[in-house]
Amino acid sequence: MNNKEALLDKARELEVEFIHLQFTDILGVMKNVSITIEQLEKALDNEIMFDGSSIDGFVRIEESDMYLRPEISTFAVLPWTSNPKEARLICDIYKPDGTPFDGCPRNALKKVLKEAEELGYILNVGPECEFFLFHTNERGEPCLETHDNAGYFDLAPVDLGGNARKDMTIVLKQMGFEIEASHHEVAPGQHEIDFKYADALTTADNIMTFKMVVRIIAQRHGLHATFMPKPKFGINGSGMHTNMSLATLGGENAFYDENDSMKLSEAAYHFLGGVIKHAKGFAAVTNPTVNSYKRLVPGYEAPVLIAWSASNRSPLIRIPAKRGNSTRIELRNPDPSANPYLALAAVLKAGLDGMKNKIAPPKPVTSNVYHMDQLEMTEKGIEGLPANLYEAVQELTKDEVMKEALGKHISEKFVDAALYEWNEYSKYISQWELDRYLRKF
Amino acid sequence: MGIGSIFKEILDAFHWSDIMNNFSILVADSGETSRKKLCDLLGKKGYKIFQATDGAGAIRVSRSIFPDLVIMDSNLWGIHAHEAARIIEEDRLSTVIFVTNNLNKAFFENLKNMKIFAYIMKPVQPEQLYQMVEFSIINSSKINSLTQKVNKLEHSLESRKKIDKAKGILMEKLEISENEAYGILRKRSMDECLPMDKMAEKIICNYG
Repeated sequence: MNNKEALLDKARELEVEFIHLQFTDILGVMKNVSITIEQLEKALDNEIMFDGSSIDGFVRIEESDMYLRPEISTFAVLPWTSNPKEARLICDIYKPDGTPFDGCPRNALKKVLKEAEELGYILNVGPECEFFLFHTNERGEPCLETHDNAGYFDLAPVDLGGNARKDMTIVLKQMGFEIEASHHEVAPGQHEIDFKYADALTTADNIMTFKMVVRIIAQRHGLHATFMPKPKFGINGSGMHTNMSLATLGGENAFYDENDSMKLSEAAYHFLGGVIKHAKGFAAVTNPTVNSYKRLVPGYEAPVLIAWSASNRSPLIRIPAKRGNSTRIELRNPDPSANPYLALAAVLKAGLDGMKNKIAPPKPVTSNVYHMDQLEMTEKGIEGLPANLYEAVQELTKDEVMKEALGKHISEKFVDAALYEWNEYSKYISQWELDRYLRKF
Repeated sequence: MGIGSIFKEILDAFHWSDIMNNFSILVADSGETSRKKLCDLLGKKGYKIFQATDGAGAIRVSRSIFPDLVIMDSNLWGIHAHEAARIIEEDRLSTVIFVTNNLNKAFFENLKNMKIFAYIMKPVQPEQLYQMVEFSIINSSKINSLTQKVNKLEHSLESRKKIDKAKGILMEKLEISENEAYGILRKRSMDECLPMDKMAEKIICNYG
């Protein structure tokens, strides 16, 4: 279904009444403008306009008129709506003069993808999104109580969370997702649903859709779903491990080389080198909240050190054992609070930089990096990821390649927003401080 | 009236009250006093009572016990009562009736979309409550069984249509009689372990 007429026919045939035109702001929050079926034709002619000045980090008030350009292939009926039926279309944002708007994260990703294509590569991404399902308290507000005490891969008997996850899987399938696996995660109340890899743009769209579906279906089960990276101290946080591989335009895996000792191609090594070189720079994008850095601490299966390994799961990057067409690298630091468009744009740009400048990766580590001491780290030249949002933003502002990946407009707004967040956080007196100092001094 | 029929009536009545006692009711009300009052009144009649204080909680309980009836205060904390009620009825978890002290137009508009057009006024009068609960449980079970029947009939009508169409295709392609076409269809669906309507669908899809 790729043309306007077919889509209009389909929407009428399915008796869709409302269409949500969705887009994502710089901070990764999904926004939408809803139109009725009568307006759909106008929308498909790219005539729907909105005021961009009220969207976080978008534009100044004097240049506020923006146009939405729906991507026809993203049309999907929202299966939980029945009477009236609703559908969605994911949109790009354009300026009134018909050029792509620099502040649209989707456009930013498209730009980097185009750069990769010019080099002869397509990025395929398979994400592993984790999330928590919490209860609400007696006032109906989300709280940190979970419905189960289950652990990794556990089967919980008559488990509200398990049922909710089953419903999420069904709805995602109805929306065209190919679900590979869904299971209980390590922490109580933590779940993961994996869907099949696709090209980077489709995957970024899918991640946004996924988050929407999970939250809505959780609500229908009386649960609160959160993608907050580390909601509870002392248990695992939620990550979004990102499996990446480059395909040639002919569809072959460009990371595989059967003649190499690790069966990785030169392109794979350089990509890896680039990602490792810019890891500090893109941390602010892949881990964009104050809370993100509370997940990146030792002991909870989250990476802390910038290193790579073929087997060990503790470093930043792991090369899963599968080879041939499944050769891929798994980046382990992104978390689901990241804007998927910007995160993928930044990571891909880092990899491409490695390939263009033939950056060799450091030696792989074979031991558990959690157990390395400072001396060993210095000897091996292993550095840590930024310790907090402030450090990450400083690294981002130093990294010209990463700023180029986001574009001038987005990188400026992004840094502003992150610093604002950091300042707000720094001013706040937390419970930890009260517990620690109130009696002591 | 003979003695036998009187006996039967008594037995029926006995049996009936037995059934009523087995019904489970979820009381969803954020106000502690009014929730307790409702629970006390219903408890006296012997219903199994469950409680929830907010919209999400009501959905959670409904999902795990599938109560026969949900009595919901229209002014609930958390998810809006109408939203929670819609989810409970849409996902066929239970039937919802509202308790309210605010009869405005929006309330009635929402009520029209509910399974049963019934509500309880606050302050709650015991007799009105009991009557409404019985009325709602019995009527909703009638509605449920009718819906099931309609669905079943719709399905069989739909498959009949498909089978007829597939038969027509076979008759035309193979130049055979209706009975022979039906025979082929039945044989194939038995061979492939498929319901006949699914087989018919396949034929329509491939040759229609």
